[in-house]
Amino acid sequence: MAVHTGRGIAAIEYPTGMNQNGDPSQAWIKLKPDGRVDVFAGTSDIGNGSKTIQSQIVAETIGVPYDWVTYDNSNTDSSPVCTGTFASRATFVAGKAVEKAAERVRERILEIAGKELEIDPDDLEIVDGEVLAKGAPQKKIAVPDVAAAATWTYGELITGAGAQLKPYASIVDPETGQVDLPPHSAISYAACAAEVEVDDATGVVRVTRLVQVYDVGKAINPTLVEGQIEGGAVQGLGLGVLENCYPYYPSVENRGGEFGSYLAPGFDDLPKLDTIIIENPSADGPYGAKGIGEMANNAQPPAIAAAVFDAVGVWVTELPITPERVLRALDANAEPVRDGKRVVFDSELSVNTVSKGGITFDVPV
Amino acid sequence: MKAVGARLPRYDGIEHVTGRTTYVDDVRVPGTLWVKALRSPMHSATFSGLDTTKAEAMPGVHAVLTWEDVPLLEYGHLSALGIPADEPLLAKDEVRYKGQPIALVAAEDEDTAAAAVDTIGIEFDEREPLLDVRRAFDADAPTIHPWGNWYPHFENEMDRRQIRKGSIEEAFEKADAIVQGVYRPAAIEHVPLETQVCLAVPEANGRLTIYSCTQALYFSLGVVAAHLQVPLNKLKIVGGTVGGGFGGKVDTATETMCSLLAQKSGRPVKWRWTREEEFLCSSTRAPWHMEIADAVSKDGWILGRKMLTLHDSGAYARFSPYGLTKHSFHHTGAYTIPNLHFDGYVVFTNRVPTTAMRGFGVTSISFATETHVSRIANVLGLDPYEIRLKNANRVGDTSPNRIVYTDPSTVPVVKALAGGMGVELAAEYSAMDRGKREGDLLPAHLVEQLADPEDH
Repeated sequence: MAVHTGRGIAAIEYPTGMNQNGDPSQAWIKLKPDGRVDVFAGTSDIGNGSKTIQSQIVAETIGVPYDWVTYDNSNTDSSPVCTGTFASRATFVAGKAVEKAAERVRERILEIAGKELEIDPDDLEIVDGEVLAKGAPQKKIAVPDVAAAATWTYGELITGAGAQLKPYASIVDPETGQVDLPPHSAISYAACAAEVEVDDATGVVRVTRLVQVYDVGKAINPTLVEGQIEGGAVQGLGLGVLENCYPYYPSVENRGGEFGSYLAPGFDDLPKLDTIIIENPSADGPYGAKGIGEMANNAQPPAIAAAVFDAVGVWVTELPITPERVLRALDANAEPVRDGKRVVFDSELSVNTVSKGGITFDVPV
Repeated sequence: MKAVGARLPRYDGIEHVTGRTTYVDDVRVPGTLWVKALRSPMHSATFSGLDTTKAEAMPGVHAVLTWEDVPLLEYGHLSALGIPADEPLLAKDEVRYKGQPIALVAAEDEDTAAAAVDTIGIEFDEREPLLDVRRAFDADAPTIHPWGNWYPHFENEMDRRQIRKGSIEEAFEKADAIVQGVYRPAAIEHVPLETQVCLAVPEANGRLTIYSCTQALYFSLGVVAAHLQVPLNKLKIVGGTVGGGFGGKVDTATETMCSLLAQKSGRPVKWRWTREEEFLCSSTRAPWHMEIADAVSKDGWILGRKMLTLHDSGAYARFSPYGLTKHSFHHTGAYTIPNLHFDGYVVFTNRVPTTAMRGFGVTSISFATETHVSRIANVLGLDPYEIRLKNANRVGDTSPNRIVYTDPSTVPVVKALAGGMGVELAAEYSAMDRGKREGDLLPAHLVEQLADPEDH
């Protein structure tokens, strides 16, 4: 009886935007008379930080301080369409819509500043809330003064709208699954290593460390990206070793209807988390960003499964990897069935064993 | 100061951590009625004699809702994408999962509503449930869905999602080994701290204001408007701040029923699920059954993959056909595998319908394929980093559905992971980038899958 350590890895990819696209997001922005910025978008913030990220994109794109931006996603009367906060689309798709709206606002500010400064708008830029002549920054006007001039002198509203929509990719051949257009907006990538301790007396798997690499394209806000990655890791840990609605699946008996009988990860379960962010910019996300919110809980379970094998020499391929499953696997100590060049694991779980012939999984010998 | 790339604090962080954020249940409107539900006690049954007269007559009860009150009873979550509807808002004549809502009561308080629910008359005739997706195809399995036990894709043109690419037969023929495994990740709960909750307020001008915890304001707007058969300007969804969703609040679970009760009673109506309802009656992540047989060469190339997926959808389709399609598109994971034979079924069972959850459709495939790659490395005696780098997708390769990879990052992330773990890679792998194939990285079996150079 001993505690064994093991390591395993996984590499994954994940699409951003709704599968097959066709999922619009829209935004509109207006300036107050003092140049402060009101953003209206329909993206629910589910804790993923989309209010923050989209506000940063707006501030950067217009060229004003972040704390000038107010973000309103509060209702469907004032906010235009956003398909929703899912499919890792809040930064990549909806963030692109606010970027486009902010570009229109920047152009309108430059037009009116050009009138005030009597300089061609193409020769102007906005830096930290001031409109400057390129190459002659002493010629300048503050964005609040531009907004005031628009309101009180020219009788205009500085506003901008933007929308992002990739066309729906149809499956043109149901036989092969071939599509006519890219069925996603971008693909994000990650890799994860898990270190575990497995107690061969109790079967308990303790994940001690997760090292995770994410290619995020561009970290709009590194703190929030790390939050997604670390939060996702904890959910991946739950998937890997703890959580299960149906402890005796496919049976529906013994479901847990309270926190006391459903094992979500707690602070005692947390491993050491090391995060490595790399940035290969995407072609069409805002500032090169990709979406990584959802994939953040996908890489840990297979890395943990491989680490358990490394530790105690058994594969547990039904999740979660509970103490009972580890002990049963250790008791069985099953070797794969070798049949010609076939190496067959888990045959007891296969449809070939369980179905009464209604469905089979046929592989040539 | 540049805003993009800055470690700025969360826009709404202080209000969240000091308890000052207004969530749906924090919104209190005078005169609000509270809701409780009659839910199915059985996994599968027909029912008759639904009688709400006692409940309606109870003091403090202002509205009772059954299927007869819903203008459009069935509206699928993906009806707008052409995926047909199969789930009634409230059960009619039969129940297909334990916890399915049958009738709702809106009353002055939750205790009164619960007491009224207890008076509703109903007789169930229990049926044998189907629970194991592997048994759904057998002749002696109960048929539990009018479409059959699995989803009819492509308007019933095909009973499954397929991917076919190259020749799996040839790959098996050429393989030095065929490695097979079965992978079964579990259903899990979303476990949001904020349970499903909604407040619907009838306004004097005839509009409804719906305070919602939805992850998708416009999605829910469309769903409620369709069930109520009203134009979008009759509804105002108020939300945008969610107390945890993780995919479970893409379902429009409560908004439509609260709206109907508000219309019927003329009063504001709030329905907040108990923790027990959230655990037992709200949708879950789907359990999946996946079988993989990979044709591999002894030096570690994955030549082909045959795969069977049974996606346990639960009692109704919800988003499952979408999830399975996404799953099929990504069943090679981060690698290029030229010969593919994928069959996937959305299988109905008598459990709570499953829905979107973080990583939808792909969390399952990542577990199956990555555990399988680790097994292949072990069977062949290869390094787990190197087998991944060797088979990594590269610029100019094509995906399972023949889309060119222009921006693959498998090689960069695996190399960075090796660096982070202090693992020394062999020279040919440490020098590798993600660029187009040539030389040893373009063996004969990977030539045909390459994209037309004009596409990238």
